[in-house]
Amino acid sequence: MALIEETPELARLRADVRGWLDRNLPRGWEERLRGAASDEFVAFHKDWVCTLDDGGWLVPHWPAEHGGGYSVAEQVVIQEEMARARAPELRVHMISLNHAAATLVEHGNPEQQQHLTAIRRGEIWCQGFSEPNAGSDLAGLQTRAVRDGDDYIVNGQKIWSSMANHATFALLLARTDPDVPKRKGISYFMLDLDTPGIDIRPIYQATGDPEFCEMFLTDVRIPAENRFGEEGEGWRIAQTTLANERASSIIDLHERLREAVDRIAGEAAITPRGSGTAADDADVRQALARAAADVDVLGLLAGRVLRRLARSGDIGPEASIIKLFYSETLQRLTDVGVEVRGLPAQLDQGRPFAGSWTSGDWLLDHIGSWTWTIAGGTNEIQRNVIGERVLGLPREPALS
Amino acid sequence: MTTADQLDARDGLRDAARSLLGRESSSERVRALLDDPVGFDPKLWEQMADLGWLGLMVPETDGGEGAGFGEVAVVLQELGRQLTPSPFLASAVLATSALILGGDEAQRREWLPALAAGDRIATVGLTGRSGRYTADFVEVTATQTDDGWTLDGVTAFVPDAGVADLLVVRARSRQGELAVLVDPEGPNVRVEPTPTVDHTRRLATVHFDGVCVPGTAELGAIGAASIVRALLDRATIALALDAAGGAARILEFTVEYVKQREQFGRPVGSFQAVKHKCADMLVWSQGATAAAEHAADIVDSDPAAVEEVAALAGSYALDAFARVAGDAMQAHGGIGFTWEHDCHLFFKRAKLDQQLYGDPATHRDRLARMRIAGAIGTDSS
Repeated sequence: MALIEETPELARLRADVRGWLDRNLPRGWEERLRGAASDEFVAFHKDWVCTLDDGGWLVPHWPAEHGGGYSVAEQVVIQEEMARARAPELRVHMISLNHAAATLVEHGNPEQQQHLTAIRRGEIWCQGFSEPNAGSDLAGLQTRAVRDGDDYIVNGQKIWSSMANHATFALLLARTDPDVPKRKGISYFMLDLDTPGIDIRPIYQATGDPEFCEMFLTDVRIPAENRFGEEGEGWRIAQTTLANERASSIIDLHERLREAVDRIAGEAAITPRGSGTAADDADVRQALARAAADVDVLGLLAGRVLRRLARSGDIGPEASIIKLFYSETLQRLTDVGVEVRGLPAQLDQGRPFAGSWTSGDWLLDHIGSWTWTIAGGTNEIQRNVIGERVLGLPREPALS
Repeated sequence: MTTADQLDARDGLRDAARSLLGRESSSERVRALLDDPVGFDPKLWEQMADLGWLGLMVPETDGGEGAGFGEVAVVLQELGRQLTPSPFLASAVLATSALILGGDEAQRREWLPALAAGDRIATVGLTGRSGRYTADFVEVTATQTDDGWTLDGVTAFVPDAGVADLLVVRARSRQGELAVLVDPEGPNVRVEPTPTVDHTRRLATVHFDGVCVPGTAELGAIGAASIVRALLDRATIALALDAAGGAARILEFTVEYVKQREQFGRPVGSFQAVKHKCADMLVWSQGATAAAEHAADIVDSDPAAVEEVAALAGSYALDAFARVAGDAMQAHGGIGFTWEHDCHLFFKRAKLDQQLYGDPATHRDRLARMRIAGAIGTDSS
């Protein structure tokens, strides 16, 4: 099901990407990385990012002057080919390539924008947004940044910072003014993680992977020039860069779900069940078809959002619908994978750390899917956003 | 793929349909027809004919507009939004499709211009009293005679048979399946109305007791099995479009209601229990629209892929409408359960849509079988 009409130019681009992947994608990378430590996986990922950059396929979504400049339709084609080839998902570099890059492009000075080059060569960034007491209520964050001459002195604790233990820089939200309404008192910084006073500890998540970390900040000095925008503008800037999250990434995620449906369907046809196979089981077929229909509908909805983006340049609050739909579809589909495979789905085969949301180790993929229903605004928050910003329902009254 | 001009034309058609049906098929008008013996508004039917809606997909050489299913889809959604009782599905979509796909020159000439003009109404009978659509459940048998066929048995759940001038009936014979044109007012044919819980559609059982039809009444341009498959797929897509329209509309008035209705000193729509329900209704509604409109476009652009997208639309949109309509009733509270409120009209139409041309579980089963076959094919290639 094509999301975008394929012109001859797009078909040529598709052939180019496909040919390049044939020549450059390391064969059997998933198998080779089974059981690998996270350091090894991160090193592999940095190599892959450099390879992609050499080929010119790493940052199609960036502005042309920084090495991108591809249209939405072209980005879709590139993403589709990456997903079809099962190239590594760019999870280690997700923040660098998307949020950090968007922030640097829009709000960075020329010196800060040098990091765009470093990011293309594998520099890892993480996010210092959430705190133990500021999750869904992110604007309630308490990490303090106090001006001291040309610096700010920062104290506080951050949590759920993916890849912080491998990162060089963090995007940091901290409170510079505690005496104004909570969204107005926040400023936005780039934080060099080599600065003294930073203690980063990995948190092992439900899958067993140490993908995110907590970050303790004690009298950490940040030069004032590393503040993005003005004091107190942090919340607004962070919201825009979050909204600018690479829209075409949904294409990659959708394409990988489609491919996972095929794998599960193929597995059902050869997995013994009763006197036949799992595919002979009517319940399995119902569950598989439900998930397959959800995946197709997700693609159609994403296509609509992308076409609107291509026309108007604005994603709008409908992005919340896509996030909600994707995460719940991922959760159900991976559970169908578990159901089809049966007891062997329980075997732990050391799937690659942060390798893929649909690695084929369906039980760990299924557990990992809660990352999507919780992170980046829980699905309950997404439903609030849909209710309030798309349907125009009244907000809940604030507690006085 | 749809061009920008086509999309603009569809927007125009949608605006015109919304305005006409908003006026001529308001809740009051729909309610007035619920117990009407005819069951639809002949004046509105005439207006629809004048606007060209009844011949949208009929080629210009056969007296139609020469548009496609993508345009028919716009009208179907708007009829769904208003719950309009109308033979549009039976006549302008299903019987018209049967004649376009399977009719010979003479059959097309006799019927298509008259159907497009709204002068005559046609319908299709595709199942027996089981309401199942596999060939085993067809209850009309055709016996070959010297100059045609003799029909015996019944076809059930036939929409608008009571007002039809032509019936396309699916029958089984020793020579295989066939589709024949029958005059429902002819000798030895009896139309028995079968009232349903949903009063916005009129279904009937048609009895055949030694009905003689000439060989020229057989639709033979393509095989009967292919005609039946195509009709069932188009019927499913048409219902998915009806469902998408109904779900979108009922969501709109549910949102309006929960914004205004206050309890505990604030609008109930500010409570997350209600707000999240509405958010889910929106997701279902938009998904239904996306699946149904996509399927309609595929009817025009890629006939070989229609079966799969019909199964997709039938899997998703029919359940979506029923769910959204049920949630709407819940979000309205007691008032939503009363006869005077429209919630139950939408819910009943949703439940009939779910079953009328194959239920969602059946569509899912077909979808799963196609995907499994595709996956094995891919693996072995």
